[in-house]
Amino acid sequence: MSETVRIRLRPMGVDIDTPRGTPLQDVLFSYGVEFPCGGNGRCKGCRVRVIEGSLPVTPAQETMLSADERAAGWRLSCQCRAEEDLTLELAQWEAQILADTSAFAFTPRQGYGVAVDVGSTTLVAQLLDLSRAEVLAVRSALNPQARYGADIMSRVAHAVEPAGRATLVKALRKHIGKMLGELLEAHPDQSRTIHDVVLVGNSVMHHLFCDIDVTPFSHYPFQPETLAQRAFTARELGWNLPGDPGVRFLPGIGGFVGSDILAGVLATGLHRSQDVQVLVDLGTNGEIVVGNRDRLLCASTAAGPAFEGARIYMGMRASTGAVSAVHVKDGHLECRVLGNVPPRGICGSGLVDAVASALTLGLVKPGGRFEDGGSSLMLCPPVKVSQTDIRELQLAKGAIAAGIRLLIREFGTTHEQVTKVLLAGAFGNYVDTDSARRIGLLPFESAQIHPSGNTALLGAKIALFTPPETFDELAGRIEHVSLSSLDGFQDTYVEEMLFPPAFNSNE
Amino acid sequence: MEDLKKLYDAILTGNFKAAKEITQQALAAGADPQEMVQKHMIPAMDEVGRRYEANEYFVPELLISARAMKASLEFIRPLLAAKGAEPAGRVVIGTVKGDLHDIGKNLVAAMLEGAGFEVIDLGVDVPPEKFIAALNEKHAHLVAMSALLTTTMNSMKTTVEAIKSAGVRAKVKIMIGGAPVTEKYAEEIGADGYSTNANGAVALARRLMAA
Repeated sequence: MSETVRIRLRPMGVDIDTPRGTPLQDVLFSYGVEFPCGGNGRCKGCRVRVIEGSLPVTPAQETMLSADERAAGWRLSCQCRAEEDLTLELAQWEAQILADTSAFAFTPRQGYGVAVDVGSTTLVAQLLDLSRAEVLAVRSALNPQARYGADIMSRVAHAVEPAGRATLVKALRKHIGKMLGELLEAHPDQSRTIHDVVLVGNSVMHHLFCDIDVTPFSHYPFQPETLAQRAFTARELGWNLPGDPGVRFLPGIGGFVGSDILAGVLATGLHRSQDVQVLVDLGTNGEIVVGNRDRLLCASTAAGPAFEGARIYMGMRASTGAVSAVHVKDGHLECRVLGNVPPRGICGSGLVDAVASALTLGLVKPGGRFEDGGSSLMLCPPVKVSQTDIRELQLAKGAIAAGIRLLIREFGTTHEQVTKVLLAGAFGNYVDTDSARRIGLLPFESAQIHPSGNTALLGAKIALFTPPETFDELAGRIEHVSLSSLDGFQDTYVEEMLFPPAFNSNE
Repeated sequence: MEDLKKLYDAILTGNFKAAKEITQQALAAGADPQEMVQKHMIPAMDEVGRRYEANEYFVPELLISARAMKASLEFIRPLLAAKGAEPAGRVVIGTVKGDLHDIGKNLVAAMLEGAGFEVIDLGVDVPPEKFIAALNEKHAHLVAMSALLTTTMNSMKTTVEAIKSAGVRAKVKIMIGGAPVTEKYAEEIGADGYSTNANGAVALARRLMAA
């Protein structure tokens, strides 16, 4: 028996030789894989799929991974050792890029399909075997348009400049084309033909993929002329794919609320629910849907980039060295740092935790001011939270909480009547829900809140098995509400900027 | 008047009810309305502005203080008008065409009112013609405009140009604000000044009135 084993990482195409018995965490960490829970088997951030070889299922993995996931070969890499040669597919490329492995009902089709979640920040594409609805390969990347502006409004500002739109459209199409090529390489099968490609994204991404003038997004009332479903052939987009498949960008709903939310509604079944449910995508542009099978309302709200660690004094993305979680232990703050390295900044989930903990300890008053009148709170040197950071967080959480409250009011129901609050998007799935409740970001009971993964990507996959009309019909059923035109918008927003004064975590 | 220290406190802490009651009692007891404004209310809002700028107060605190100030002003304003007392200045304010983000604009309006200015608030998405009509009709000294987005900022330039074309530029001072606005931009479009926050806007308005 050889003393070293070979680990192949897909689809990166990296081969690593390592001593037999090495913890996979040690091997993968040096290749940039992060362990959000610190390698304790408490999250699924580091999961890998075994393509060749085998990894035993430990009890911790039975708790975290469903039977379907385990059967599909998914394992938590932090719980495994390299005992034999392995070929692994990594779920994680960027820490906060969220793929999806949910099972769903489908009618089998021939061939292969691709679902793409076109986020303003990140792109995720999955190759599926349409006969089994099985994900064969995943590829994710940063949106190449990000270099022309981090948020959608700066993208719009760039796109209305001469030649700006052409640059952005070209960059996005080219990059997605490249990802599709890589998906095919990751799963070589000579006989295969791609039958269908489905894309989802917010309204600005829709326009900047389909090459439509974004001027309507640049000023009041921010209403695009069309968010209709658009169809292309791969060749028209400059993509050389076997079978020259049709490519569809699903229809949006209204304003900034796009097909990513529409797909989320379909994926979560909100439109079939008898009880009132809420779907929230927590991002720079927060999107909210409130409704049931009879009526659906949606809105977007400009939360700003605080949840992504931007405009925060020591803010950073959720990557190595970021304080990603803060807890109160014996009356003190205890920080968790990604990657077991010295802390160098704080990410959005860490900031929400830090402020929630500080409220619990009475270090921050409900108005947001530090109790001692100071200008910052040290978490773990050198990382601290400044008074201005708390103000940024108040603006962000106020915008989301006010949006939820106003939509619930427009619907004619109450927070208590809502049976489920479904969280879409990366931040919603990484943030600690108790902390989000403590700061008043999600004013609901624990039992109501359900992190739901990448519902946009799941909806896009379902679309591969769904007639296009279904989406047009569903989009037409969802009413878009312009929050700032509602009575009491400012008062609600301002009230929601405050933190809840007292809180019982057992509620 | 010793009791009027309470009016200062009521505004500073945003106690709407107390501000109203103290004002009514003081006026009934014969207090001088002008002195109430000058010696107690404006200093209270100045302190609110200082705390806001020092990050001690935030948007909610500033707005509840402004609301308390307004409750008191409702009783005082008619008396001042009857006496023919002039405000510190008359300001026409609004978010420019295409922009509807008005919380920043509302903070500035509240602070200017608190500083003794008469504020004519035109609301959001205000086209240049509307600014011009209002400044003519109200004999305004100042025009204050805001835009939160880089995509709507250009409407400020259009509005300044329209004010020039209408031949009323010499009659007014123009101040601008909003997240993407800079000193350089203010100079470029020919505005008279800009401020990064609501408290700074008061200082700027006072400076422009004195110039």
